Amino acid sequence: MTEATAAVAHDHPHAGIMRWLTTTNHKDLGILYMSFGGIMFFVGGLFIMAVRAELLYPGLQLLSPGMYNQLFTLHALIMVFGAIMPFATGLNNYLIPLMIGAPDMALPRVNNWGFWILPFAAVLLLIPFFLQFFGTGSGATGLGWMMHNTTLDIQSGIGIDFAIFTILLLGVSSLTGAINVVVTALNMRAPGMVLMKMPLFVWAWLITAFMLILAMPVFSAAATMLLTDRHFGTHFFDAANGGDPILLQHLIWFFGHPEVYIVLLPAWGLIPHILATFSRKPVYGYRAQVYALCAICFLSFIVWSHHMLTSGLPLAAEVYFMYATMAISVPTSVLVFCWLGAIWRGAMTFETPMLFALGFVAHFGMGALTGLVLPDVAVNAQHHNSYVLVAHFHYTFFGGGIFGMMAALYYWLPKFTGHMFDEKLGRLHFWLTVISFNITFIPQWFAGLDGMPRHVADYALRFSAMNFISSVGAFLLGLTQLLLVYIVVRCVRGGPKATGQVWEGAQGLEFTLPSPPPYHTFETPPEVK
Amino acid sequence: MNEHEKRERRTVWLVVALMLLVAVIYAATFIKLPVWLPALK
Repeated sequence: MTEATAAVAHDHPHAGIMRWLTTTNHKDLGILYMSFGGIMFFVGGLFIMAVRAELLYPGLQLLSPGMYNQLFTLHALIMVFGAIMPFATGLNNYLIPLMIGAPDMALPRVNNWGFWILPFAAVLLLIPFFLQFFGTGSGATGLGWMMHNTTLDIQSGIGIDFAIFTILLLGVSSLTGAINVVVTALNMRAPGMVLMKMPLFVWAWLITAFMLILAMPVFSAAATMLLTDRHFGTHFFDAANGGDPILLQHLIWFFGHPEVYIVLLPAWGLIPHILATFSRKPVYGYRAQVYALCAICFLSFIVWSHHMLTSGLPLAAEVYFMYATMAISVPTSVLVFCWLGAIWRGAMTFETPMLFALGFVAHFGMGALTGLVLPDVAVNAQHHNSYVLVAHFHYTFFGGGIFGMMAALYYWLPKFTGHMFDEKLGRLHFWLTVISFNITFIPQWFAGLDGMPRHVADYALRFSAMNFISSVGAFLLGLTQLLLVYIVVRCVRGGPKATGQVWEGAQGLEFTLPSPPPYHTFETPPEVK
Repeated sequence: MNEHEKRERRTVWLVVALMLLVAVIYAATFIKLPVWLPALK
């Protein structure tokens, strides 16, 4: 290819499917990541609908306990690794270069590779689930999203092995993406954009990327050890041969707790932008938020065993992990007060992104507050493995992560598509989501406080009412999300033209570009003052 | 060396350093953590 033809090929995307298979453009890859995350959100949602249908009434109606285990495990793995993380990665792909005035991510080809690993990983995870219906294998993994409810004998068969290979593939994808973000943020900023002028979303993703780089190799190594224990005669976790099953819990939670923040930090980074825009004020407490995010990153690596307080740790370790975990509430409170400071006496309007951002603050606040109580050793002894835990982490993951992602989707959707979405439908989607989300998860607090254990397909009669309400809420929550699909598809197909700035109070380099931005942007870097 | 070349060079060094960090953590998990983490018991 001559330089001239290469330049033409670079300037214009391929037509049709080849554009999406071969693209190295950060906007294309951002859309691919977000679309993949959106599709997997519905796949994971379908699995949990089956689970909630089983829990509608006591007794076993629809699913065997083994099938139930597979469905909630797949729901969790898909929602965390297949939906929220890829969607947040899509946002970083699309937005980071625009926010820092870079022409693209630093490693565009690696970016393409990182994305196209994901569909194969998803297929690998799901294959054993479908194979069991044709009489092959014993189904997908049913050990929970952190896979440590295991001794080697609990589940044999191909499901766990497929899950292990899925984790290894996801690890490669996440690490390439993380390295790309670090190099882009540190090395591709426009002249004048010093680190302390970088948008908070970019800061949050820079810190998230470092967390992935530090935590993901441990998870991959733990998965590899599990694989070698199962098939190659090693005894890392095999107590019968001198290994230590608790070691698997340590290794997995050493990744698993930072992973909670890996899911949440991107949302924490974008919420200040949205609150500031619709309050017509600058971002409040910029430096404080940067330092708080860094502090949370550090603390997240030294608190992992609060997930294992009932596993027989020595008292000194339990007390340490209790206080260290509670210490996270300090930087988290800094963030929450900065978010409230952003809207304090602001000229607020309540468009859909603002509603979801405020919904995020309220619901994540409930998740965070209960997160402050749960590491208390005595409380944890009562509530560990109960539905209190299920409610708690859904208030953080859904109330924090997914509300945050929805706020971001509505905020930047007109920028991505060039069209405004239907505001009335957006608000309807918000209120239906809030109502159905709380109908689903508030009863789970009560069921848990009353002693209902999680990971069970059947339950005692006294939990019937709470489970019935929770299931009805879950069905409504699932149906409500179809409205989101309608809103997004309608916005992509047309609608009132969006201006470059989109929202009256919007600030940032991405809003200096037309909507949608041209295929290539900032080939000449802007000067940031 | 112009600014573009300097940036490319920094990119290569950063990528190599981060990949090495990943490899070291992965290896340390295998070699070291099984030794000292059980001490928490």
